Amino acid sequence: MKGLLIKDYKLILNQKNFFCLMIALSVGMLLFSDDVIFPLGFLIFVISLFTISTISYDDYNNGYAFLFTLPITRKGYVKEKYCFGLLLGSFSWILTTLFGLLVILNRNTLPIDEFMISAILILAMMIAILAMTLPFQLKFGGEKGRIALIGAFGIIAIIGIAINQILTLIFHININLLLENIPTINISVLAGLLILIAFICLWISYKISTKIMEHKEF
Amino acid sequence: MLKIENLKKHYDNFFLECSLQVNPGQVTGLIGQNGSGKSTTFKAILDLIHPDGGSITLFGKDNQDITPEDKEKLGVVLSDSGFSGYLRIKDIIPILENMYRQFDSSFFIKQVQRFSLPMDKQIKDFSTGMKAKLKVLVAISHGAKLLILDEPTAGLDVIARDELLDMLREFLEEDDERSILISSHISSDLESLCDDLYMIHDGKIILHEDTDILLSNYALLKVDDKQYEALDKSYILRVKKESYGYSCLTNERQYYLENYPNITIEAGSIDELITMMIRGK
Repeated sequence: MKGLLIKDYKLILNQKNFFCLMIALSVGMLLFSDDVIFPLGFLIFVISLFTISTISYDDYNNGYAFLFTLPITRKGYVKEKYCFGLLLGSFSWILTTLFGLLVILNRNTLPIDEFMISAILILAMMIAILAMTLPFQLKFGGEKGRIALIGAFGIIAIIGIAINQILTLIFHININLLLENIPTINISVLAGLLILIAFICLWISYKISTKIMEHKEF
Repeated sequence: MLKIENLKKHYDNFFLECSLQVNPGQVTGLIGQNGSGKSTTFKAILDLIHPDGGSITLFGKDNQDITPEDKEKLGVVLSDSGFSGYLRIKDIIPILENMYRQFDSSFFIKQVQRFSLPMDKQIKDFSTGMKAKLKVLVAISHGAKLLILDEPTAGLDVIARDELLDMLREFLEEDDERSILISSHISSDLESLCDDLYMIHDGKIILHEDTDILLSNYALLKVDDKQYEALDKSYILRVKKESYGYSCLTNERQYYLENYPNITIEAGSIDELITMMIRGK
């Protein structure tokens, strides 16, 4: 696992200029705009893409074939990708959250607890993005993986809209009203619950990815 | 060390069915044209593809049961794959150090310097020769017991090929138990290195012989129509029609030398032998 983590770290160093630019953009947004939540979400989303890009690097020029002759297993490879994604995501989340905290403490633009709940929601989102994108990338590889992922998001959106329409037209249930009544649950409990759901999704995604890799031929 | 029994793999227009064996301390060559099934065989050994039948035993174990610890005893060169082109040699040293318990970084660095490979350049910008040397260096730097080399000399000039083969000879000299399975479509590479050779064509092994016997006992008889009629064909493996008459492949050169002093008998290179085995009838 350590060897693979080093490989991925060395691979993303190729994008260090892009990485620095994204950090600078986020810091710029934090410093010069009142919105501290958007830069946080933006940076974490971009950082998640770095994990995906390491899969493209591995896949480049049929690299997988050689990779799996090294003393690793296919399952170990998948495990490493998820660990790398979580490590990179957590690192950037901690970094941007701390920076965001410094900004709001200086400016008093947002209550700390509200900021922290948003930050936790963004963390849950990052985990969900990893859970969603990794199996697609492993199954279809670089370019096709991105197209398949866009297609999957489209299908999910259509299913969501369809469910909403069915509930409204046939059962006369208004989803928005339903959601507005939820705040009776403690918002921190909700955030914790979302993190838990995100991790469950990540675990399911890991199982799917393992199956995908075990069936692949190189 | 390695035993393949009735390996089967079916693709749309191709069917592989082969058996072969590599013994400890032995260098075994696999010769065949492009698309004859060499790479498919190698990929099956390495569990990169899922065979439709047969068995592959590696280090005494079914290759499905091979652990990462077992894989440390393998050194692999694949013709169409290697470390990501976006890595540099200085990047792959810590990767290998953390993957192989026996990775010898000082030997590796010494060899990198010997072959003037750039430490700080992305592999994708290497020349074909540099890439090939790096692949072999990676395979021989961690005390492997078995090297599996698929076309390690492909695309190289004569000098680079010689350097690469020398690297392999040095690797073999260090330990009597080390073995190599090597494929190539350039037979001269294998002639000097291999103890035995398998010839593969259209997914099937058409010949297996010790290299010494191939070079000493096999020969091409060049005969006209009349000589052909009179020839004892008991030891003729293949016959091919030529403008002058027939060329015949035999594995009993001495018999024809003694009994047919008037016909032309040529030792025949492995390339000619391959041509006869494939084109002859």
